[in-house]
Amino acid sequence: MTLGGSGSGVVVPRNFRLLEELERGEKGIGDGSVSYGMDDGDDIYMRSWTGTIIGPHNSVHEGRICQLKLFCDKDYPEKPPSVRFHSRINMTCVSHETGVIEPAKFGILANWQREYTMEDILTQLRKEMAAPHNRKLVQPPEGTFF
Amino acid sequence: MGADSVSGEGGGDPAAAGAGGGGGPVTVHVRCSNGSKFSVQAALGSTVGAFKALVAERSEVPAEQQRLIYKGRILKDDQTLESYGLESDHTIHLVRGSAPSSSSSVQAGTDVGASRTSNDTQGTGSNLDSNEGGGLGGARLGASLFPGLGVNGLGGNGTSGLFGAGFPEFEQVQQQLTQNPSMMREIMNLPAMQNLMNNPDLMRNLILTNPHMREIIDRNPDVAHILNDPGTLRQTLEAARNPELMREMMRNTDRAMSNIESSPEGFNMLRRMYETFQEPFLNATAMAGETGTNTGSNPFAALLGNQGAARNSDRSANPSTTGSETIGSPAPNTNPLPNPWGATGTSVDSFFIFFSHLGVNLDLTGGGTQNNTPRSPTAGDARLTGLGGLGGLPDLEQMVGGMPDSSLLNQVMQNPAMSQIMQSLLSNPQYMNQVLGLNPQMRSLLESNTQLREMMQNPEFLRQLTSPEMLQQLLAFQQSLMSLGRQQQSQDQNQTGGGAGAVNNMGLEMLMNMFGGLGAGGLTVPNTPDVPPEELYATQLSQLQEMGFFDTQENIRALRATAGNVHAAVERLLGNPGQ
Repeated sequence: MTLGGSGSGVVVPRNFRLLEELERGEKGIGDGSVSYGMDDGDDIYMRSWTGTIIGPHNSVHEGRICQLKLFCDKDYPEKPPSVRFHSRINMTCVSHETGVIEPAKFGILANWQREYTMEDILTQLRKEMAAPHNRKLVQPPEGTFF
Repeated sequence: MGADSVSGEGGGDPAAAGAGGGGGPVTVHVRCSNGSKFSVQAALGSTVGAFKALVAERSEVPAEQQRLIYKGRILKDDQTLESYGLESDHTIHLVRGSAPSSSSSVQAGTDVGASRTSNDTQGTGSNLDSNEGGGLGGARLGASLFPGLGVNGLGGNGTSGLFGAGFPEFEQVQQQLTQNPSMMREIMNLPAMQNLMNNPDLMRNLILTNPHMREIIDRNPDVAHILNDPGTLRQTLEAARNPELMREMMRNTDRAMSNIESSPEGFNMLRRMYETFQEPFLNATAMAGETGTNTGSNPFAALLGNQGAARNSDRSANPSTTGSETIGSPAPNTNPLPNPWGATGTSVDSFFIFFSHLGVNLDLTGGGTQNNTPRSPTAGDARLTGLGGLGGLPDLEQMVGGMPDSSLLNQVMQNPAMSQIMQSLLSNPQYMNQVLGLNPQMRSLLESNTQLREMMQNPEFLRQLTSPEMLQQLLAFQQSLMSLGRQQQSQDQNQTGGGAGAVNNMGLEMLMNMFGGLGAGGLTVPNTPDVPPEELYATQLSQLQEMGFFDTQENIRALRATAGNVHAAVERLLGNPGQ
């Protein structure tokens, strides 16, 4: 409701949209399972972001904190940001070499809509981590990075 | 519109962050992972470490376990709050760092498995590696002794061989026990367990229920002697109780073996010995054991030109035997004899050890074999369930699973020694809880169902559960459940595996697992997976990818042909398809 707003016909410009997300990240709005913020507060284009996902319960990720890098190019939010894991992780939708999430294998990126936010991506990823085909996968040791 | 105003307000933030807050204390919100929230007054110039101390006063999380996350970043103790751009009214997430919990120990187990796998992949011809394997194998031996209830001059996978059932839960239990030596020791020291161990009759009985084993014993009086000698069994038990001793023993053996091997005729001698002794054993155990045969890790394979996945593919070519594994039935062995030099069925450590202990430690063969077998995640699922795993029952299951018929099963059930041991296991709430805690799925089940938990912790209930009459009833009940389950075609079920994993319906599965411990293993139907291979072999596929095999289709084909065995699949992919 508060975000995007294309439902009401108003197209929120990129910067406003990102500032809004930035604030949500700083204030910790949301369910608290994910966190995100800008890498470099001086970048006026607000492209480079960091996110963390707190490993979902009942999965091998429980008790872990996964770090991600999100890159919102200038066509965001028309196009999805590119997302990659910084912490090493074994997931079906994540490249084993680079940690990049392959959009084709991850629904929210494949069917991106401009109302989606980075928070949505992170929470979806968290769900994906707890999905049956991921939650039991053998994981690389904690604290290793791509 | 509202959005605009909000973002307008937010617009000040980065600029302000750049300017940096002063030294005065500001209000910072801390949000815990359980959803609770509180506020802390802190100076932005202070370090994260100091801030954690503040937070520790307000939450139950000690500073060293705290992990603070702000704007997607994990805060480091030696940095200042300011350096992360923190400002008044911002929120920091607090997560309790991974305390040594049972779930993480299970995790660790998997990791060990993984690293082992990669070890094996490197083509271990070196003595070093085999030593390492030996050490691990030793631990497993300890574990394996237990599930076999001390039958175990031939424990380990040998047990599953002996009693005919390759139980998937078994390995899980093994793993748990391996990770928890104190529990192992405890169990070993139970008087009931020792009684049982010292009861040669019972053990002989158990051994003789396996036709293959009996055949071997008949043919080879020496072996029979070993099997029937309570002293030997006790010795093995001692070793199992003391992992250091075990490891030491194995190391010595390995050293000696490699010496022999390097002398000119030594190798041939070893081969002869192997052919005389180990092959028949292997045949018996592998026949009834699980599908998973390890191809990659036999150094002899590397030495002699790998026969690849011969056995594996044999087996996968014949899925019906793969899954049901003849569970102790006296059907003749139609599989070709394993080629001892063809990497099938045995691993280094076990092979070496065999000679030093001639038969006593044969179990390691099996154990090693199984240990190295990569598992599909689905099979893991099946393993994790099972109330059977609750109260020291898995051993029973293990034993009972292989019993050729239910009358025999009943006999065992009614054996006073048996019920005694079960009771002493079950009436130890501590052990009980440990087992419960180690089983994540079970834990979540219990968490969501306090009634069940109470039930399980009530020794009285458990005693009732273990009374012979009750066991019989449960057995009958399970049989009917089984037939029910058989009618349901499952989608996300485990592959071969057996156990009690053939049912889709979760509740039913749970029920069945509850009674799985009571041993209808012999009735289990193999379940052909209709899961897409990508999903079924997800772990293996990713492993292969990490090893540098990028052609997914090719990988899947290889995995299919090898029933999910990564080592064998690698062999195949390297253009050495098992003959």
